[in-house]
Amino acid sequence: MSGSASSVAPHEDARPGIALACRGLGFSYSEARAPIPALREVSFELCAGGSLALLGASGSGKSTLLQVVRGLDEAETGAVLLDGRAAGDVGYPELRREVGLVFQVPELQLFAATAREDVAFGPRRLGWSGDEVEAAVDEAMDLAGLPPADFGDRHPYALSGGEQRRLALAGVLAMRPRLLLLDEPFVSLDPRTRRELARILRRLKDSGVTLVLATHDVDLAWSLCDELLVLDRGRVAVAGAWDFGAAGGHLLAADRLREPFLVTLWRRLGRDPREAPRTAAAAAEALS
Amino acid sequence: MKVTVAQYYPGSSPIHRLDPRAKFIAVSALAVALFLRDSYAGLLVFAAAGGVAYALSGVPASWFWRAFRPLLWLVGLTFLAQVLFAPGDPFFSFWIFHLSWAGLDLAAFLSLRLVVLVLIGSVLTLTTAPLALTDGLAWLGRPLRRLRVPTDELALMVTIALRFIPTLLVELDQIMRAQRARGADFRSGGLGQRARALVPVLVPLFVLSFRRADELALAMEARCYRPGIVRTRLHPLHAGTADAVLLALTAAIIAAGLLV
Repeated sequence: MSGSASSVAPHEDARPGIALACRGLGFSYSEARAPIPALREVSFELCAGGSLALLGASGSGKSTLLQVVRGLDEAETGAVLLDGRAAGDVGYPELRREVGLVFQVPELQLFAATAREDVAFGPRRLGWSGDEVEAAVDEAMDLAGLPPADFGDRHPYALSGGEQRRLALAGVLAMRPRLLLLDEPFVSLDPRTRRELARILRRLKDSGVTLVLATHDVDLAWSLCDELLVLDRGRVAVAGAWDFGAAGGHLLAADRLREPFLVTLWRRLGRDPREAPRTAAAAAEALS
Repeated sequence: MKVTVAQYYPGSSPIHRLDPRAKFIAVSALAVALFLRDSYAGLLVFAAAGGVAYALSGVPASWFWRAFRPLLWLVGLTFLAQVLFAPGDPFFSFWIFHLSWAGLDLAAFLSLRLVVLVLIGSVLTLTTAPLALTDGLAWLGRPLRRLRVPTDELALMVTIALRFIPTLLVELDQIMRAQRARGADFRSGGLGQRARALVPVLVPLFVLSFRRADELALAMEARCYRPGIVRTRLHPLHAGTADAVLLALTAAIIAAGLLV
């Protein structure tokens, strides 16, 4: 109703629809002689249901940022806001439960005797009832492309590398995160498993999960993510929408990154790189 | 919840540059001598020697605390045991506990001796890279080869174990984080609950370690490692004038400590 404008109760950060916001995050690793700064004044925002590619050279702070957002490390300065509220020891620790983090080489975390049991670990820790746990496990395993009827009773270590990766992903998905952080999920996967994983991530995105994807693979990032955040030695180098602008001067040049293949292709074809397609299928359609 | 071990402080001080064998002999001899003498004067000599060596090493004083902290409970326990159960003329008694000046004196002496022992030992471990220490020990253990003790293989085992401690700590940290992200809680609950909480951490860590042991063995065989044959070293140990001076000084300090 346009006439009944009611004032919304003030939040700590009252902008609606921002799933994740970081404000001036700073973090350093304490080493023997001097602390090593890993994040400096990192600020960005991500809408609910959005997807963010986290790019940057090794050691630029991508993993650290994900750990801090998940609350495994507490930021020294600044704040992590989830749904506009400060998450953390002083804020709303329960918010962190809605953040899923898939570690680099996540199959290292598999430990249970059966795939089902391993996926059920997280939901059980959340204190859900037996039926809820079962339902969450079935759903997560299906989503990860490991039908529980076929894979439920298999031993995690007897699965192939790609299956282990997806099982570990299922273990995180079973906790039904609304914000999913992935730390280089495509590392050392064969092409078929990469495609399957990309398909899973796209499905998650379509179902409304907010994604943050740390990766070195610009092409995958381009096909999956609406926005990007480039870190350079702990600082934000680029944040926001992909913007390849005028020929040559694109945003990624500064950071040892190349632009996505499809963007280069569009540039070479003499088309506007800002309108480059996200997938090969879309490119084929545009060109035919 | 970062897991760290305090052991080696890299540097290039005169103490760092000494031969590990000389340092090991000096520290062992000092440790034995320390326990041969029951007087504060002797203790003072050894403490001064340890303090001077520590100062020369250029290691920050806070690192002594890091080396000492894990042993604090041992010193505390020694002190308490001596104070409460020592014989002597009690000035205060309660149940089976008797406090006496002699007991207090003994407790203080024994605790201080432990502190001095840690001080002297920490100079060795803080200024000697673990691998150099292992090399030195392997050399010192050579006579045992006559008795068919596989000293080189033992040294290699220790070397590999030391080499992988930092790796394992990093992996332990990663796995703990991953399980915490899945809701694991390692800090609350009783002892049994905490032990159970470690299962999701220890299983992956063991699996990983066994896999790595397998791969390492293969990689070593691929590079022609065979047990039992004599290998030459990339960095042979060289004892020099400084090491001779160290041993002479050690002898002098021990003599002084035992005679004052």
